[in-house]
Amino acid sequence: MGRRLVGDPVVKHDGDEYLTGRATFAGDVVLPGMTHAVLVRSTVAHARILGIDASAARAMPGVVAVLTGDEAIPLVEPVPSSVDPTPIGGHLAEIRCLAVDRVRHVGEPVAAVVAETQGDALAAALAVRVDLEPLPLVLDADEAMAADAPLLYPEWGTNRIVGGEMGSSAEEVDAAFAPADHVLEGVLRSHRGNAAPMETRTHVASWDETTGRLTMWATTQNPHPLRSTLASALRLSEAQVHVIAPKIGGSFGLKMFGNREDFIVPVLARLVGRPVRWHEERAAALLPGAREQVQRWRAAFAADGRLLALDVHARSDHGAVSAGHGWGMGLVGAQTTGTGYALEVCRVAWDVVATNKAPWGGTKPYGKDGATLLAEHVMDRIAETTGVDPAEVRRRNFLQPDAFPHLHTTGLELDSGDYEGTLDLALGRAGYPELQAERERARAEGRRLGIGLGFELTPESADVPGALVSGFDTATVRMSPSGQAIVLTGVTSPGTGNDTAIVQLVAAELGIALADVEIVQGDSDRCPYGFGNISSRSIVTGGSAAVLAARDIAAKLRTVAGAMLHAEEGEEIVLGGGMAEIAGDGDRHVPIAVVAGAVFSLGYILALDIEPNLESTRTFRPPNIRHTPDHRGNLQVYTTYPFSMHVSLVEVDDETGVVTTLRHVIAHDCGTVVNPAFVDGQVRGGAVMGIGSALGEEFAYDDRGVPRSVGFKTYLLARASDVPPIELERQVTPSPSTLIGAKGAGEAGFGGAQAAVMNAVNDALRDLGARLDATPASAPNVLAAILDARR
Amino acid sequence: MELRLNGEQRSADVDPRMLLVEALRDAFGAHGPKIGCLTGDCGACTVRVDGAIVKSCLKLAVAAEGADVQTLEGLADDGGLSALQQAFWDSHAFQCGYCLSGMLFAAGDLLERVDSPTDAEIREAISGNLCRCTGYDPIVEAIRSVAS
Amino acid sequence: MIPTRFAYEAPGGAEEAVAILDAAAEPRVLAGGTWVVPELGSGASRPDVVVDLRRAGLGTIAAGEGTVMVGATATYADLIGSALVRERLPLLHEMAGGITGGWAIRGQGTIGGSLIAARPQSDVPAVLVALGAVAHVAGADGGRALPVPDLLTGPMQTGLARGELLTALELPVQIGTHGYVKLKRGASSWPIATAAAVAVDGVLTRLVLGGVAGTPVELEPEDATMAEIHDPWDDELAPAAYRVAVAGPLAARARRKAIGG
Repeated sequence: MGRRLVGDPVVKHDGDEYLTGRATFAGDVVLPGMTHAVLVRSTVAHARILGIDASAARAMPGVVAVLTGDEAIPLVEPVPSSVDPTPIGGHLAEIRCLAVDRVRHVGEPVAAVVAETQGDALAAALAVRVDLEPLPLVLDADEAMAADAPLLYPEWGTNRIVGGEMGSSAEEVDAAFAPADHVLEGVLRSHRGNAAPMETRTHVASWDETTGRLTMWATTQNPHPLRSTLASALRLSEAQVHVIAPKIGGSFGLKMFGNREDFIVPVLARLVGRPVRWHEERAAALLPGAREQVQRWRAAFAADGRLLALDVHARSDHGAVSAGHGWGMGLVGAQTTGTGYALEVCRVAWDVVATNKAPWGGTKPYGKDGATLLAEHVMDRIAETTGVDPAEVRRRNFLQPDAFPHLHTTGLELDSGDYEGTLDLALGRAGYPELQAERERARAEGRRLGIGLGFELTPESADVPGALVSGFDTATVRMSPSGQAIVLTGVTSPGTGNDTAIVQLVAAELGIALADVEIVQGDSDRCPYGFGNISSRSIVTGGSAAVLAARDIAAKLRTVAGAMLHAEEGEEIVLGGGMAEIAGDGDRHVPIAVVAGAVFSLGYILALDIEPNLESTRTFRPPNIRHTPDHRGNLQVYTTYPFSMHVSLVEVDDETGVVTTLRHVIAHDCGTVVNPAFVDGQVRGGAVMGIGSALGEEFAYDDRGVPRSVGFKTYLLARASDVPPIELERQVTPSPSTLIGAKGAGEAGFGGAQAAVMNAVNDALRDLGARLDATPASAPNVLAAILDARR
Repeated sequence: MELRLNGEQRSADVDPRMLLVEALRDAFGAHGPKIGCLTGDCGACTVRVDGAIVKSCLKLAVAAEGADVQTLEGLADDGGLSALQQAFWDSHAFQCGYCLSGMLFAAGDLLERVDSPTDAEIREAISGNLCRCTGYDPIVEAIRSVAS
Repeated sequence: MIPTRFAYEAPGGAEEAVAILDAAAEPRVLAGGTWVVPELGSGASRPDVVVDLRRAGLGTIAAGEGTVMVGATATYADLIGSALVRERLPLLHEMAGGITGGWAIRGQGTIGGSLIAARPQSDVPAVLVALGAVAHVAGADGGRALPVPDLLTGPMQTGLARGELLTALELPVQIGTHGYVKLKRGASSWPIATAAAVAVDGVLTRLVLGGVAGTPVELEPEDATMAEIHDPWDDELAPAAYRVAVAGPLAARARRKAIGG
């Protein structure tokens, strides 16, 4: 009876808190005596800091303190790198929480003002004089790799942060290209974007002199790793640091540990001896970049549309270096290239380059969007060249369901999949032949429709050796004498609902009502050490750990219930609906609450066969992560491989370039689904973000490296009237490696949607001889492509 | 300054440099309205002032002297949830919840103006409110379910 | 919070407002606040006095002799809800109904505020030019009236003198038919380019482009070839070349809508 809870679209267990304004976000935290911090940021993209004059600012009303980068040096160590690239030959730069000596991008924080009110702090920040000597700047990744490029970190002798080669050898590539029926090459460019969660970051830090403890309410996805890195940098023990992540208003990767502001705020709190709140302004929240790449590709394929070999060089425009792990998106994009297809020869050279833009910040779907964009672009180019229908091209190239586990040339081992199944589902739902007919009819009427496919495969649940980004996680489950339970997880939720889903899982295992399970996430004091929310891992790892712990307690309950019910040899106890009963004999039952009470009050009579506690802490470690290199020297660092197939129908106005998305169909497979409403929610949200990125969401810089995108009028997000309803189909191919067969849905939708819309636009433009080899398909870009083709 | 907040006469010290959304949150303790952009684009700060929906980040606090203001905290009837609030919950029309307050006010305003809105009208009514989590479909469904 | 301190005044009428504007060193007029408040917040605008027109009684819409008088602080929602505007100024009504940002913005944004902001990225200036609107301005030395094109001296610039205040727009009742097209990059986008055409008895009488240059561009109505656009507008959302390229097609569409009936 309890098992029914898994797979049910149960509503958010704490929805009423949100609906009545009782859900606390970090920005809602108010402490007595709280002061307000505002950061002074560089207005120049590359410069030497000659001096900072805060004298006028310090004298202004309400100002409590002003801290410059130099002044902060004795107060805190450099920000620890969250994922160090040096083990794979990359470069690190020392990142101080406030810039010292040089600034390398507009927006880099150089000083902090603390004042009694936000207004006083803002006014004083405007009065801080920062004396900068501009240095030559570079704003393009290819230019940054030229021999005479200005260097951001002269000690490196290069602007290359990290890079490498993976997959097939050059010889294998040449051997595959030589006999191929067709060879094509191209350059695909993708634009800089930011996931723009609705909540920007707010941190509130409070230092208690009496207890010697720092308490921080932080907009963070990873409270424990943040605690560890804060303690290290502030030269405290971890026991002295308490990080609380309240409700988070969306993250999409941008609230991962490794941000400078995570360190500035506690330093200020300690300095002024009062609580300090810092709220991130939207223009600053838009700075972390992602997605901007140049992919130079060559593809060899057969006349029947089978892709024989793919050779790619992917260059990422990272911006300045940070202590975060945005650079990892270049690596992961390379690893993901070509996955899902039966591609025996695939080689990817990749580099991540420093330029004078704001640093990359890890952003959903963490570089996999670039791999998806490329593969799906190539598939359509193959269709165009061979005359084979684009859907048929995918069909002929997909790995078959019996091909798993499948080791890709880049080292990723795909777990399970039925890719063709999602193609059939998506085409069926879309009515593919009818769409094609509609396209022809419209053409006759002078309207230009386009159909585009996009297949997305996203490796999830990563484990990065040597970093506090691990593939396992831990949960504690406790039941009290009343029979009510509490779950404390190492994973957190950015709002996705994994907390409710974990409640479902635990309630199902314990056989009690959802309302009798409480969940606590995000408190580094109360919750077991975990890695928070990243890489779609919360159900896969955290949910599995909670299930293991709940099963331990369930086993104890069954033992004690068996004693209470005088169960005989071979008679099984079943837990469900709040009852423990003999299987098949409904008359012999006892409420679980009574059983729990008995453990604690009748322990010497009824609980002799168990340790009389109802508490368990367990860790789930997926078995399919491998840190020993394969024959190509690659590690296998991802646990699961969810996927989806997208079909997009667009209309293009060839006089204005305006693109309208008419339909969007997705067939999605993330393995076992605990809560279909939550999974659908992830897919829809990601897809709309991907559609928005295909059409806009362009973060632009001018030629002085000053952002032109400073808010939502200049960084355009998709609104409800811009996108069609997302039509969803579900397929379930369970993961063989996770406890419950779930694969994770946190990064679903973006890559496939963006690729499908781009392909649809190019489909609409094909008979004009126009094609977009760069995102986004904004109206100016589309019209420029049309006009170029006419000349 | 004084105003009527969720039916109750209130007075608080308000810094004249405050925007209405800041005054509501920091001076009057109503954290329902959220700050997402401060440029009137995201809609998270939407509340009702004298019966009309307003993006409260575009209003000076002092300009609301004596006004009748309703925030998220005042939407539920008598401790229970309104039909619209319940519909949002049932339809999974919010995930992180940050846009929720603004969406509820935009939706409530629509349902006052139009009896049976079409999906296009619903989408237009919430087009002043950004959401990054749901993809908008469940919000449209929640509003549609209350309208019918 | 706004970083700078300012005096806040909410005058009860135009005369009182003008007196405050005249006496202040660097006053800023506040109507709906959709642009002014964010500028105060960023520190881009640092006035000594903010003059809030919310109780100045400038929001009425009334019929005149063959005209409609629209108060400067009439909101888009006021225009949409006004039977007078719907019946006698249908082009203005259509424009108001297409303002994005949701109904909160429609209730907060004002026609006068948008005109005085004089942004190319706005529907209002070009539509008011197409409708032959006359701006009524109050000042310390009395009032004056001037055609809207004379008021718009450049992008984000008006010919208002120190101490002057726009109080109303006088629009001749529309005759004939109109066509209005607006091009944006989605609902988040400001207008990239607009075209407003007015026709009487199937003959085009006015054709005005907005957004393509710093101020509205009035074309010869029957100009089959596009007149050259001097100094096409360039901004974060679209380059000048794009606006030049779409101006012709948009003008043609507005023409077709006006003449097609």
